Amino acid sequence: MHLFVRNFAGRTLSLSLPEGGATVGALKESVEAREGIPARHFGVLYGNKELTEGDSLLESYGVSGGATLHLTGKLLGGMQAPVVPKPRLDFLNSRPPANYVAGLGRGATGFTTRSDIGPARAAPDLPDRTATTIGGAAAAPAGAGRGRGKGGEAEEEEEAEEKGYDENQKFDEFEGNDVGLFASGEYDEDDKEADAVWEDIDKRMDSRRKDRREARLKKEIEKYRASNPKITEQFADLKRKLVTLSATEWESIPEIGDYSLRNKKKRFESFVPPPDTLFERAKQEHEHATALDPRSRAAGVDTPYGQTPVTDLTAVGEGRGTVLSLKLDRLSDSVSGLTVVDPKGYLTDLKSMKINSDAEISDIKKARLLLKSVIQTNPKHAPGWIAAARLEEVAGKIQAARNFIQQGCEECPQNEDVWLEACRLATPKNAKAVLAQGVKAIPNSVKLWMQASKLEGDDISKSRVLRKALEHIPDSVRIWKAVVELAKEDDARILLSRAVECCPLHVELWLALARLETYDNAKRVLNKAREMLPTETSIWITAAKLEEANKNTVTVARIIDRAIRSLQRDGVSIDREAWMKEAESAERAGSVATCQAIINSTIGIGVEEEDRKRTWVADADECKKRGSVETARAIYAHALAAFPGKKSVWLRAAQLEKSHGTRESLDAMLKKAVGYCPQAEVLWLMGAKEKWLAGDVPSARAILQEAYAAIPNSEEIWLAAFKLEFENHEPERARMLLAKARERGGTERVWMKSAIVEREIGNVDKERELLEEGLEKFPQFHKLWLMLGQLKDRIGQPEAARETYDKALRNCPHSTPLWLSAAALEEKVGGLSKARAVLTKARLKNPHNPELWLAAIRVEAHAGNKKESESLMAKALQDCPSSGRLWAEAIDMAPRPQRKSKSVDALKRCDQDPFVIAAVAKLFWQDRKVDKARSWLNRAVTLSPDIGDFWAQLYKFELQHSGEDVQQEVIQRCAAAEPRHGERWTKVSKAVENAHFSTEQILKKLVLAAKDEETM
Amino acid sequence: MSYLLPHLHSGWAVDQAILAEEERAVVIRFGHDWDETCMQMDEVLASVAETIKNFAVIYLVDISEVPDFNTMYELYDPCTIMFFFRNKHIMIDLGTGNNNKINWALKDKQEFIDIVETVYRGARKGRGLVVSPKDYSTKYRY
Repeated sequence: MHLFVRNFAGRTLSLSLPEGGATVGALKESVEAREGIPARHFGVLYGNKELTEGDSLLESYGVSGGATLHLTGKLLGGMQAPVVPKPRLDFLNSRPPANYVAGLGRGATGFTTRSDIGPARAAPDLPDRTATTIGGAAAAPAGAGRGRGKGGEAEEEEEAEEKGYDENQKFDEFEGNDVGLFASGEYDEDDKEADAVWEDIDKRMDSRRKDRREARLKKEIEKYRASNPKITEQFADLKRKLVTLSATEWESIPEIGDYSLRNKKKRFESFVPPPDTLFERAKQEHEHATALDPRSRAAGVDTPYGQTPVTDLTAVGEGRGTVLSLKLDRLSDSVSGLTVVDPKGYLTDLKSMKINSDAEISDIKKARLLLKSVIQTNPKHAPGWIAAARLEEVAGKIQAARNFIQQGCEECPQNEDVWLEACRLATPKNAKAVLAQGVKAIPNSVKLWMQASKLEGDDISKSRVLRKALEHIPDSVRIWKAVVELAKEDDARILLSRAVECCPLHVELWLALARLETYDNAKRVLNKAREMLPTETSIWITAAKLEEANKNTVTVARIIDRAIRSLQRDGVSIDREAWMKEAESAERAGSVATCQAIINSTIGIGVEEEDRKRTWVADADECKKRGSVETARAIYAHALAAFPGKKSVWLRAAQLEKSHGTRESLDAMLKKAVGYCPQAEVLWLMGAKEKWLAGDVPSARAILQEAYAAIPNSEEIWLAAFKLEFENHEPERARMLLAKARERGGTERVWMKSAIVEREIGNVDKERELLEEGLEKFPQFHKLWLMLGQLKDRIGQPEAARETYDKALRNCPHSTPLWLSAAALEEKVGGLSKARAVLTKARLKNPHNPELWLAAIRVEAHAGNKKESESLMAKALQDCPSSGRLWAEAIDMAPRPQRKSKSVDALKRCDQDPFVIAAVAKLFWQDRKVDKARSWLNRAVTLSPDIGDFWAQLYKFELQHSGEDVQQEVIQRCAAAEPRHGERWTKVSKAVENAHFSTEQILKKLVLAAKDEETM
Repeated sequence: MSYLLPHLHSGWAVDQAILAEEERAVVIRFGHDWDETCMQMDEVLASVAETIKNFAVIYLVDISEVPDFNTMYELYDPCTIMFFFRNKHIMIDLGTGNNNKINWALKDKQEFIDIVETVYRGARKGRGLVVSPKDYSTKYRY
């Protein structure tokens, strides 16, 4: 049957199918064969019917021969076939992929437990597959014996044919596997021409586009530059300006550092700890080199140094330095050809070496060799033997050491060092025997005998040994001393008497003997000693002490005189200082007469005529400082004998008596003093005061009268007399005295005192008269002005007082008390602004005056202007930053929480100021820190004992916090200090009604007055 | 009793069997079905297979049919049992000195179940080596 089939391209194929029984499937197959389109991708139409049933005959669709059929494409559509899940166990039934290498698919690795079987691990990643197959093939016969026989090999061959693609084919990344498609073709003329043509075309096209391309490129670059300008362009204008830069500016441009993050990050630093061996080595070097080191010289005595590794870096450094210097020394040796190494020293150094480590053992061996040669070449050289023995000892071979030293003893029996060493090395049992041999060999070696006595246990045998020694060496002081020390008193005397015969030149023996003898015998002994040792001072002094102890005070001075003379005769230079020392020690031993005698005879020696007074006074001071009162007194006595007219010496002597002597001695001294220097007011006054203090007013008066007779026009004495009367409540007498003094033309002080007396009496008119009189004479004396002003104020004439102050301030504009009084008056009268003005004026005239500032601050504070006062305080502290008073006030003014910080500031500014310290103490007090407050208050008091306020504060504190005795002590201390200043103190003490109060009374009154206030 | 257990007929199948199991241990017996030792072993394996099916699966491999692993796993004993879990060979310390496998016929069912369970539990925890509950060193075997 012949059929025509029109295909997709519109061409008609003619097909011939077998007649009858041709199916649709056969038709499709033949089409597939002709067109190359798989049968499932097309359908066949006849008329309007598609021939779908592949198995049915063409006739059933009515297709007959010569019919034209049409091919149609099958369009995809409808739903996707559901994915059938792969059965998990399909591997059980499906065939394995060809050429599968077992284990490779899952990356299995084998194991090797028995290497005799061969390499267990089949290398799954071998590059050449054939190798694997060979391996597989090789493995197959192994199992063949048991299994199916040879079937495996045939299978392998079959698989090899099935590979299907060329193993060696090159794979190109770009073109894939197709690169070799034309690679086999030859490159002929045509190809060449074609290439040339293509190249030409490329070139042509390129030249055509060139302009445009370049322009575009340029534009792009410009655009890029505009958006990302270069740094040089950015700063171009600035760079141009560099021309104007001066040299200095150029210099001052800072260097740029490297601030990049990379460098900022800490590089990884590794610290490798140096090994211990290094330290050990360094230490050994050090040890070697410093065998001269005294530390290591005492061999065998101390425990070996440096058994534990000491990592002392400085020692390492030193060691290195020493080694270097040693090497340099050796170099210089070899250069000069002469050796600077002292062989003896080297040997003794060797003996002080110790084993510190194994490394030194070799050194020991070397040393042993050296010492052996020393011993052999010079067997009579004792240090060699000792060194050898010590080396062995250090090496720990004590027996060898003993043998060496034994030999040494035999070889050099005359050397005591060898014997001593032998004794040291011997066992305690043998030591005595060794020493016995030793003393037999050298019977007059003190060292050996001493060592022998040391070895003995009890005193009796010790002294027996020593006596034996004395038989051999009668003139050894050491042995004598040792014997005497061991003996009882009687024996000692006998021994000493023998000793001085044997060794007459030893003072100590003589003195010891003299000490043991009775007075007469001692005298004799000392005389003998003097004959033997005419130049020894201590014998003389001992003799003097002896005499004094036996009440022969007269002879003491004679002995000392004789001593000086004889010593000078014998050509001994008399050292003044040494003799003074002797005098002091004599005083300390209780021999005052000896002390005085020594001073009298030696103080003048070796001192220049004009220096005498100064030197002696200095000596006396020194002695006084050292507590040698008698010596000082003796010096003064001598000095006063030499200079009876010197006031200063008298004064010093009197002070010495006052501090260390009795009242009587002081009186005597002062009397003598005024006898010699009648012109010295001070001495008179001192005497009078002493009398007065002793309560003896009449005699004080008498002294003053005498003084007046001696120095008729002395104002001091006038005033002293006045004071005496005044204080003893005899104002009339005082007044008379002052009147007399005024007639004689006294100074302003006399006027002032007169006024005070009048004020005391209450005679206002007289007082004013006196003051005015006084002011006519002394208009510059501010105290008089002050008194006048206060007087006027007191009697209720504020206007007059103001006038007075005005005048006063014109006369003395720099008197702070005047200004303060004036301001106080103004404030009292009620003119705050006036007071302010006064104080401002005062400050202008007297800048940097903390008291004026303080007054101003207080005026404001009183008036209630807290703000104003604070600002003033700030200004004041700026003006006088180191004024303790201002700071103390500032601390007080500050609100409580800020006081502490304020006090810290204050202490920073003036840490030694008593005012600040007292203020701080007050803070502690308020905080109930009793101990601290007490110590701070005491500090304040010691810093300025003159200010009574602190004493009052301390007293009040102690009243609150401690017992009666402490309070009494405070009162006593206060009375001793006699405070005169202090704001509150003067307020009380200067009050008219308190004029005659003692310090204690004032103190108590002040505390009472202050009780009402919150704090002091 | 080997006919009751699945056989693996190629290296690929063995690999797939080991890879396919995600949650169970894979127990593979290498040997020959006609081998006396294997027969004894297979008897035990067949009877416990159902018991341990929740945590282990058992396959048999004829080492003549599939000689691919003979070198890799040193399969020279008549009967060898190896354990795998998630494509990892699980070693087991039996006290014999060879931790890689059981190379004798284990005749006690419960012992085998215990060993498999130990392997499974250890492997689940990521262990590559588990310790057998019973010591099979020669001391105890004889």
